[in-house]
Amino acid sequence: MKLTQAFKNKEFVITSEVGPVKGCARNGHNAAFIAEAATIKSYVHAINVTDNQSAVMRLGSLAASVLLKHAGLEPIYQLTCRDRNRIALQSDLLSACTLGIDNVLCLTGDHLKLGDHPTGKGVFDIDSVQLLDIARGLNQGHDMMGNDLTAASDLALGAVVNPNFQPLDLQLLKMEKKIAAGAEFFQTQAVYDPKLFEAFVRKVEGFGVPIQFGLVLLKSPKMGKFMNEHVSGIKVPQALIDEMASVPEAGYKDKSLAIATRLLKEISPMVQGIHFMPLGWSDLVPQLAATAQDASR
Amino acid sequence: MIGTAKKPFDEILAALQGFQKIGMVGCDGCAKVCLTGGSDEVAALAQELKAQGKEIVFEASPERTCNMAKAKPILDPLKDQIQASDALLVLGCGGAVQITRYVTETLGLTLPVKTGLNSVGHMDTTVPGTVAVEQCQECGDCILNDTGGICPVTKCAKGLLNGPCGGSEDGKCEVDPARDCAWVLIYNRMVALGEVDTLKKFVGAKDYSKAAKPRTLYIKEGRVA
Repeated sequence: MKLTQAFKNKEFVITSEVGPVKGCARNGHNAAFIAEAATIKSYVHAINVTDNQSAVMRLGSLAASVLLKHAGLEPIYQLTCRDRNRIALQSDLLSACTLGIDNVLCLTGDHLKLGDHPTGKGVFDIDSVQLLDIARGLNQGHDMMGNDLTAASDLALGAVVNPNFQPLDLQLLKMEKKIAAGAEFFQTQAVYDPKLFEAFVRKVEGFGVPIQFGLVLLKSPKMGKFMNEHVSGIKVPQALIDEMASVPEAGYKDKSLAIATRLLKEISPMVQGIHFMPLGWSDLVPQLAATAQDASR
Repeated sequence: MIGTAKKPFDEILAALQGFQKIGMVGCDGCAKVCLTGGSDEVAALAQELKAQGKEIVFEASPERTCNMAKAKPILDPLKDQIQASDALLVLGCGGAVQITRYVTETLGLTLPVKTGLNSVGHMDTTVPGTVAVEQCQECGDCILNDTGGICPVTKCAKGLLNGPCGGSEDGKCEVDPARDCAWVLIYNRMVALGEVDTLKKFVGAKDYSKAAKPRTLYIKEGRVA
């Protein structure tokens, strides 16, 4: 099912995310990420499948998306420009549609230097705006050079935006280009400051595209500190890190749930959905999804 | 300027293994500016090689070794010395190394031509003698007219054409926090110039056929093929 249909139906769209394993998952073996996703199947509309996230080489997002589909889940196939040139990107989009994928999230991709193959050659032949434009063209029945396809693809096109970005107007300039290029829904980078998010929402209200608030579950004070120091584009307020640190380690999960609940209650009314990035704590997603659904009404 | 950096001495020695008599060719153009291959650096490396037991047959540093018009008048008269060498060691960019090889071929000589430098980019000389920053990828399709004179193909780690990625933070690049995000620089400059609307235009996929290597520039016709 296309996510765009759920947005059209005015549903509050909940998605979560899994990262494919670093290894082969033939015949469903070594596929704990599928099992993790399956546990939240009835609480989410779809599950993002990351594409060699953080530039760490793993099982491909298309294969993992297909495994999710076979398990009865709705995948959002993430596709980055880092590792593929224009031929490979278009071919993979056609492959995805052929294999039953309905949703694709078009991203630039983290730089190779951040991952486990820093000596590799980054491709970046195409950027995320161009990728959306190209994907829309495939949906219309032609490749980027204008050559006809024997059959068009039929993919819902998603994109990402980072409300933390300064200057925000520059990020929004790119967001508008993505919309003009064919983006039909947006998932945001993780934001921990409701006021900052509200300022972002006010600026994009007139853009006419559904937005899902991105929520990375804060799992420990150390993780918050790590994200501030090493994950560019995400800012965790010191007050939240201190709040996590105020409880013993055994209480981190409860505290994480409390913080996420608070954020969702504030932010859900501003958006058309939530995108969870639970980093293994998918068991918190059902309760948080219910909180978000309630708060959105 | 073509930026160059010295190869580790051990790597140079390994490249010269088995060759006793060495002819040295520097470059008093870019490599001199980079303090890697001007006459002074050639002389210094010659001393180090002598200390390792090598014989230095000759030292020469054309004004621009990549330019036949400059290199050939210096190297041609050295034919006998080149012939007496077991190998040449060039302290210049990749172009200088290959032109030196080419000159030896025009002289009817066949001998190994090795390099002592790594070429590291088309650079400026913002702080002469101190820092050089990469400025251009020679993509063959310059877009500086539309980006405030700041090249995203070079200065953005991902070469993005339609704006920044989401990894930029506080105006710095996700790849190296010490480096400015090219797109924040471009945006601020376009705001100052009153040309932000230019950045709102969709930039299509780059025509990399214009950068398809190896390119030949037909100078009189101004044609690239």
